[in-house]
Amino acid sequence: MLRISRRQALGMMAGVAAFGLSAPAISQNRKIVVGALRFTSHAGSFVAFERGYFSAAGLDLELKFFQAAQPMAVAIASGDVDYAVTAMSGGLISLADKGAIKVIGGALSEEKGIDGQKILASDSAFQAGLTSPSALDGRSFGMTQAGSSFHYMGSKIAAAENASVTFKPLQKVGAIIGALKSGQIDAWSIVPHIAKPLAKSGAVHIIGDVADYLPGYQVTTVFTSARNANDERQLTSDFLSGYSKGVSDYNATMIAKAGGEAGVTEMVGLIHKYVYADRPIEKAAPSIINGTMRLNEGAAINMTSLQDQLSWFQSENLVDGDISLDQVVDGSYVKTMG
Amino acid sequence: MDIRLDAIGHSYGDVEVMRDISLDIPSGKIVCLVGPSGCGKSTLLRFIGGLEKPTTGQVLQMGAPSEDCLNPLTYVFQDFALLPWRTVRGNVSLVLEDHPMSSTRRESIVDDVLSRTRLTDFGAALPKQLSGGMKQRVAIARALAVRPAVMLMDEPLSALDSQTRELLMDDLIALWTRTPFTAVYVTHNLAEAVRLGHVVVVLSRRPGQIREILHLDKPLEERGFGDPDLDRQQRHLWTLMRDEARAADAELLDV
Amino acid sequence: MSERDAPSTVPFRGGGFTTRPYRWVGFAVFALLLVFAEVGTRIGFISPLTLPRPSDVLGTFRDLYASGMLWTHLAPSLTRLCVGALLGAGAGIATGVLIGLFSYVRAGLSPVVAALFPIPKIALLPLFVIWFGIDEGSKYALIAFGTFTPTVVATYGAVDNVDRTLIRMGQSFGLSWISIVRKIVLPGAMPGILSGLRISLAIAIILLVAAEMLGAEHGIGAYILEAGALFDLERLFAGVVILSLLGVLLSFSIGLLERRVLRWRS
Repeated sequence: MLRISRRQALGMMAGVAAFGLSAPAISQNRKIVVGALRFTSHAGSFVAFERGYFSAAGLDLELKFFQAAQPMAVAIASGDVDYAVTAMSGGLISLADKGAIKVIGGALSEEKGIDGQKILASDSAFQAGLTSPSALDGRSFGMTQAGSSFHYMGSKIAAAENASVTFKPLQKVGAIIGALKSGQIDAWSIVPHIAKPLAKSGAVHIIGDVADYLPGYQVTTVFTSARNANDERQLTSDFLSGYSKGVSDYNATMIAKAGGEAGVTEMVGLIHKYVYADRPIEKAAPSIINGTMRLNEGAAINMTSLQDQLSWFQSENLVDGDISLDQVVDGSYVKTMG
Repeated sequence: MDIRLDAIGHSYGDVEVMRDISLDIPSGKIVCLVGPSGCGKSTLLRFIGGLEKPTTGQVLQMGAPSEDCLNPLTYVFQDFALLPWRTVRGNVSLVLEDHPMSSTRRESIVDDVLSRTRLTDFGAALPKQLSGGMKQRVAIARALAVRPAVMLMDEPLSALDSQTRELLMDDLIALWTRTPFTAVYVTHNLAEAVRLGHVVVVLSRRPGQIREILHLDKPLEERGFGDPDLDRQQRHLWTLMRDEARAADAELLDV
Repeated sequence: MSERDAPSTVPFRGGGFTTRPYRWVGFAVFALLLVFAEVGTRIGFISPLTLPRPSDVLGTFRDLYASGMLWTHLAPSLTRLCVGALLGAGAGIATGVLIGLFSYVRAGLSPVVAALFPIPKIALLPLFVIWFGIDEGSKYALIAFGTFTPTVVATYGAVDNVDRTLIRMGQSFGLSWISIVRKIVLPGAMPGILSGLRISLAIAIILLVAAEMLGAEHGIGAYILEAGALFDLERLFAGVVILSLLGVLLSFSIGLLERRVLRWRS
């Protein structure tokens, strides 16, 4: 849990000022809780929060941090958290099926030409010939849990290469990294800001890009409780508009370099409060810059990719075969792509 | 084989518990050790059996035990010390299992001692099924199985009620009459001493010394319950011991 | 004769304070809870997010059995449980006996065991993966390690509690050291060892789930964790039921063993 009273005060002041200027359909200082992981892919929320975009939309926002995506989804279902960003996992679909949650927007998707998730091989496997994903046959692939995004990616890559791989559930990203470094597993896929430093250390090797196998892959989504999506349309729209402004700022500064190097430095400083906060800024900055990925403008969502993911989960018998995409996604809030 | 105690003395730290005890235990006789509590009767028995060492003096074996003797100095304990997970037969054969012999030989020894202690029908019973008197008969059978040169009996009847005690005394007398054995018999019960002892050794209270050695000549099989001769001997022993016992009783136990 | 002298029955006041076996009460409570959950989920005052419907759990279980997946999951779990518990309990009993018998071993090892006891073995799982590999080795090691320490403590406590007069009896009959250990110390320590085993095996089942967190494709623990990750409550509960049945079965078989081996106890 995180509360910065000075910031909140500033935010409130900004909100009051905004109220005076125009009269947007604001939610009158509604208190909401937003779940986040300490990853750069959650930068949209951080930027919007720090720059007061949520306050401007009349939201009294509290950021709540989690160690993994799964408990965040459960927290949404239990009503402890209102909005969050996470990958589309089997757990998420199951909870949507039970009428607990709904996906309302996109957060991060793979795009050709922009640095995306990398496919990694352990050093021993690399030396033994695993130098490209085409050699994956008979190899082991790391994942956090069955039905996680890693499971989906690995499975799709393997299918594309006609390879049969075994999946090793290791629960945590840290455990997978350890297993990959020590050669206990052969391959894995992960976001670039984790992949690149690992590859630099020499213990693992980058052997391909996920985007080549899953073009337009909707990696993470914005989601909320079904109650918020159905009955709190105003609140949800206000949240998405605040969030989108944060995303917009992030993309403009970090990718289009609209503010030049100074803008990047300022943005990195802002994100550093949440990501790699335990490291000094000069060490954290390269990792944050490395991790830059284009977030979905306006929280636009790639329905084709989500349909593909849902179908895969169903084909693997991880979720109920009767679930339709409409039960999982409420596409009425944002622009849809694909 | 005789046993000779040669000027045995013992101390625990500064406390002298036994002083200058010399005694002969002749073959084929039962020697009873009586004395007030704390006079070191049981300690003396442990010296004889080699389970403890006296501070001064020594215990001597006079002559070799007979050829077929498996465990020359054999104890019979007050609390029976039967293995609860073994049957009566198992408990007896336990003490034979470490000696090289054919299983038929072992079985025949077990059969023999069980019949001598009238336990033949109870071979398969577990100790928990037996009365106290039977348990002690099993312990005696076990002791007989190793053909001891000397039986060291540490208050063997003290844990039993008085009727069972009478019955078991008769049993012991019958056993001895059939095949005389050598025994050192520690007891605090004077009636037992005059019924079973050829020699009764009276020890004084701490430091334990020999007060008197009483020889009872009446054959064991002629001694009976309420025998006037024995009553007289028992009264004599009691007069010897009464004051000692009273003084011993008044002593604090924290030494 | 006056009122006071009339005979009256002495009032009985000796009842209570004894436990009597009302076996059906346990079943009744269990059935009542199940019926409550079933009715609650059907009527709807228990949401499907809170609790799965018992009949659905049964259905999941039936599917699991019919599809043959039950064995696919049960076989590796039972193997892990057996190998791990056998290694751990075996080493634990041996170490416990040595600690119980030899003063040097006791002085050397009992502080080590005391130091190992409170370590949450799950915390060492990543380390075991490095030491014993991500496959079966680390799983055996975790379960073995988890059962080892409680077994050691129970065993040497049991050896300490063997009736000293029996050992003295053995010595007085000139029994060899090995005979005394084999025929007096070990059987005498058996009740304590078995009740220690009861606890160790329960711990083994708990650790089974933890062991299957890392790198297990099949197994009851992996099944439960996967169900948790997918928020599939029916499968989660089906898995949990299998584990508790396993626990009941183990406890029951130790009970049988106790009745066989400890027949001599009153």
